Amino acid sequence: MIKLRGIAKSFGKQEVLKGIDLTVEKGEVVAILGPSGSGKTTLLRCINYLEKPNAGEISIDDFSVNCRKPAKKDIHLLRRKTAMVFQQYNLFRHKTALENVMEGLVVVKKLPKEEARRIGAELLEKVGLADKLDAYPSQLSGGQQQRVGIARALALNPEVILFDEPTSALDPELVGEVLAVIRKIAREGITMIIVTHEMGFAQDVANHIVFMEGGLVVEEGPPKVIFQAPKEERTRQFLARYTSDSAYSI
Amino acid sequence: MGAKFDIQYVFDYFVKLLPYVRISLIIVAASIALGLIFGLLAALPRLYRIPVLQRLSQLYASFFRGTPILIQLFLLYYGLPEILKLVHVDITRLPVLAFVILVYGLHSGAFVSEGIRAAVTAVDRGQVEAAYAVGMTGFKAFTRIVFPQALAISVPILANLVIATLKDTSLAFTLGVMELTGKSQTLPTISRHFTESYLALAAVYFILSLALERLFLFAERRLLKHENLTIKESRVLLRRKWLNRRENVKAAFSKGGA
Ligand SMILES: Nc1ncnc2c1ncn2[C@@H]1O[C@H](COP(=O)(O)OP(=O)(O)OP(=O)(O)O)[C@@H](O)[C@H]1O
Ligand SMILES: [Mg+2]
Repeated sequence: MIKLRGIAKSFGKQEVLKGIDLTVEKGEVVAILGPSGSGKTTLLRCINYLEKPNAGEISIDDFSVNCRKPAKKDIHLLRRKTAMVFQQYNLFRHKTALENVMEGLVVVKKLPKEEARRIGAELLEKVGLADKLDAYPSQLSGGQQQRVGIARALALNPEVILFDEPTSALDPELVGEVLAVIRKIAREGITMIIVTHEMGFAQDVANHIVFMEGGLVVEEGPPKVIFQAPKEERTRQFLARYTSDSAYSI
Repeated sequence: MGAKFDIQYVFDYFVKLLPYVRISLIIVAASIALGLIFGLLAALPRLYRIPVLQRLSQLYASFFRGTPILIQLFLLYYGLPEILKLVHVDITRLPVLAFVILVYGLHSGAFVSEGIRAAVTAVDRGQVEAAYAVGMTGFKAFTRIVFPQALAISVPILANLVIATLKDTSLAFTLGVMELTGKSQTLPTISRHFTESYLALAAVYFILSLALERLFLFAERRLLKHENLTIKESRVLLRRKWLNRRENVKAAFSKGGA
């Protein structure tokens, strides 16, 4: 179980997160929605300490980090328990698909190369890239790169995978293949927190929807409730904007 | 002024110059090695934004990049012993070659520091974050992710620097170091075939530069094999752009002409 308590973050004078509380059960898939600038990316980045929160507490099961005075080794441990899939993929460009997936296993987990290779090949097969093990990122399409990114995240066997708009940098025709992979791993019971603007996808893949605005959680609940009967006016307005200009159905 | 041109002298001098390739290359190699150390030392305070040192290293780079190397040679050769004399250190006995290598080392270090900065900042921040996200320490992220890519990016910069340094070594003779250029000046003192001597000298430098260029190109291809595809593509794109422009130019010229 992942618990965030009072996560706050400011950039200079600008308060981007104003105290976020969030609980994610094991195996749950949480989708975070919200308008641009509401702090979704910042929140994800705080969870694995790519951004340093000013206050709050992050706990994963019985391990917890006090963000006011985090120990260096706790930050390191937190990062090992979480994995991130980036909007821009951020693959290591000088490494092949397989090496990208192996890197964390060999360098961080200190697995023998052979074993890392076996796990890497297995994961790449899972994301449908069995024939691209030796391809460099520059030889892969955006969708393929993002699937390598997902395999790299899976490799570390994290408690939670954080996705920041995993498909928003992709050409429309490549979005489907990436969403399909995320759906597949969601079904395997891996805990995930996904920031996305794909409403249809959020609705059918997530067990829990969080709507953020202005650095606060405005409303959260199961997809049925949030999409069909949101309590807050702001949630309704936000969803209306999306449902009107993107025709989707489930 | 000189004697009548005689091609035979070019070959003759060319062969006589060959033994001096060694000393020129020694100056290049030693000063580049020194330059890599100075350059790294100067780049670090700027990469990590260390307050006072950052300014100093900036000043260092600007000075050695912004003043002629000939002046730098004279300044250090004649000036440094004087200054050190004030603190009772006598370096007047030091061989000239040591001064020359020191100056070229400082000079190329200035360029190396700029190169390192450029190469490291060229590796995108996102990859470093990805490295952190898989649990790497800052050190591991640098050595495993940033450094290998920065190295590949900096090969062409290094190639330029090495070739520029090779050419700059031709100034070492002004302090009396008997390297290629110095030798080429003494060869024709009796025969008066100066042009032939300079021609032979140019040929030696040219061949050396060409060989170095090839070597670095090979290294670059090896180190950048992960980007080769995109490089090839962008070259094709460039060529296409250029051809298009030529078409446009042709069109512009032909307008109203036919
Ligand atoms: N490194 C930074 N320095 C300064 N301000 C930042 C930084 N990162 C984010 N911000 C600001 O914090 C606010 C929230 O940004 P964030 O990226 O978290 O929003 P978001 O909800 O992810 O938006 P989007 O949907 O556009 O991705 C924005 O106003 C942004 O300008
Ligand atoms: Mg964002």
